[in-house]
Amino acid sequence: MRLARLWLGIVVALALVAPLLTQNSPRDPVASALAPPGPGLPLGADALGRDFLARMLFGTRLSLGLASLAAVIAIGAGGAAGFAGALFGSTADRVWLWTTNVLLSIPSLLLAMLLIAAWGPGIPAVVAAVGVGGAPVFSRVTRAVVSQLVGAGYVAAAQAAGADRLWTSLRHVLPNALPQLAPLAGTQFGWAFLGITTLTFLGLAGDPAVPEWGAMLNAGRVALVSAPRLVLTPALAISLTILSVHALSRPSETDDSNR
Amino acid sequence: MVPLLNRSSTSPVSSTTRRLLDGLLTAWAAVSLTFFALRLSAGDPVAALLSNGLTTSQQAEQLRHRLGYDLPLLQQYVHYLGRLARGDLGVSLYSGQPVTELIGSALPSTLRLAGSSLLIAFPLGAVLGGVAGWGSRPVLRRLAGTLASLATSLPVAATGVIGLLFMGRLGGADSLAPQPGLWLPATVLGWAAAGPFARAVQAGLQSTRRSPFILAARARGLRQNGRLLWHAVRPTLPAIASLLAVEVAFLFAGTVVIETVFSRPGLGRILVRSILQGDFPIAQALVGMSALFYLATQVVADSLARSADPRLRGPA
Repeated sequence: MRLARLWLGIVVALALVAPLLTQNSPRDPVASALAPPGPGLPLGADALGRDFLARMLFGTRLSLGLASLAAVIAIGAGGAAGFAGALFGSTADRVWLWTTNVLLSIPSLLLAMLLIAAWGPGIPAVVAAVGVGGAPVFSRVTRAVVSQLVGAGYVAAAQAAGADRLWTSLRHVLPNALPQLAPLAGTQFGWAFLGITTLTFLGLAGDPAVPEWGAMLNAGRVALVSAPRLVLTPALAISLTILSVHALSRPSETDDSNR
Repeated sequence: MVPLLNRSSTSPVSSTTRRLLDGLLTAWAAVSLTFFALRLSAGDPVAALLSNGLTTSQQAEQLRHRLGYDLPLLQQYVHYLGRLARGDLGVSLYSGQPVTELIGSALPSTLRLAGSSLLIAFPLGAVLGGVAGWGSRPVLRRLAGTLASLATSLPVAATGVIGLLFMGRLGGADSLAPQPGLWLPATVLGWAAAGPFARAVQAGLQSTRRSPFILAARARGLRQNGRLLWHAVRPTLPAIASLLAVEVAFLFAGTVVIETVFSRPGLGRILVRSILQGDFPIAQALVGMSALFYLATQVVADSLARSADPRLRGPA
């Protein structure tokens, strides 16, 4: 757990100060191809002669930033849909149920790929697609939580006092729903991060030079044996980040001492 | 799967039929979604070919007319459904090859990968989950649990590439060429797929182990292993049946990634290529088919869960 926090702290810090840590641009070649690590190039150069450390550093910004954006989309859209379904009557609920069922009938990565096919490959498409792909699951959870709260009597009590529906939902339900939904934001972020890195790995970001960890993992395959650091570093970074996010969003597993 | 149709339990239509109708309705909606998502957002599929410089505007006009893209959208939709019912999935915008042919030639390779991964995933997951949830030594339990967690969390792209690294003696461009051998990709994918399964088994066993009926069985003298394990496993079967659908969904994504990592021929690579090229008929057909297959799996898993645990059957 502590390691998870440490790693994520490091990554976020690096993302914030990346431009200060290196003078080289992550996109311009500065050395010969596959130059080994040396003075001025702590991680050497990649297959096109770009400063690999700079790319990894800027990669923290892109990977984390894009994943956060996608997660925000998923939570916003999914949350709103779930709220609407639970609070605005049985018709809205049926529509919501039907829509989420259909969206969930397509495996989420494929749904994201479908959307990228529609919008054309590119970073905005990848972010939007991952966001939309994650929304149905989050909306299901939101609806369940909100329905439960509605059943607890807040809404009825407020409406008996004369409040209208929208005000009730904002004032009463939202503050009580947030604590239950907040941990799931972590899971959403983890899913979004995985989705973004996988889709860029598959080359669907449209820009082969983009310094994003998934894309770099793919680009490094060309030099797999001659310069394994080009593959190992992004692989390690991606894996550690996902593991940390998962470790932090899971409730600690109970110890099975009852034998 | 949450049912859509809300008939009362006194309806003459049996619940199985209702669920099947639900499934069909959802299937139709999913397939329509793939159609409209592509057509509405991207507009004219032939425009992508034009912008790539692969056809002249005169040829594009002819192609448009031949493929029916100059008709009103709803009419195209009706034609699409009609062709679908006849088993016609359209033709590739690039090669003109019928999509069914394309899928047919790539399907065996993907099935081999997915099938062997499942063959590895289920026993591996069962063993990992069994040891993690029922093992006699805490060290073993922790180890198995950690392996299962790692398997679930680590992205297949990363494990696949690392596997390739440790197994490969090839360098340079050879790393991007098709890698012979099924065992490595299947093992990587199988281990990743085993993760969720192992965790479900572990959770199930941990919860039933403390339940009264297990305590009663132990009091009656059943030893820790063997038959006691069997009794403990039974209530977890519905959860595991539902997991079947989750595994299928996971494998859809996993095979796409693994086929790319190992440069294996298969539906995954075809899908990625079709998206990069804007070859809509292929993308549409593949995503639609996956949705249908996934839905079918959910229905099957649902029935299995119901038959394994009578408590789930509800009002018939």
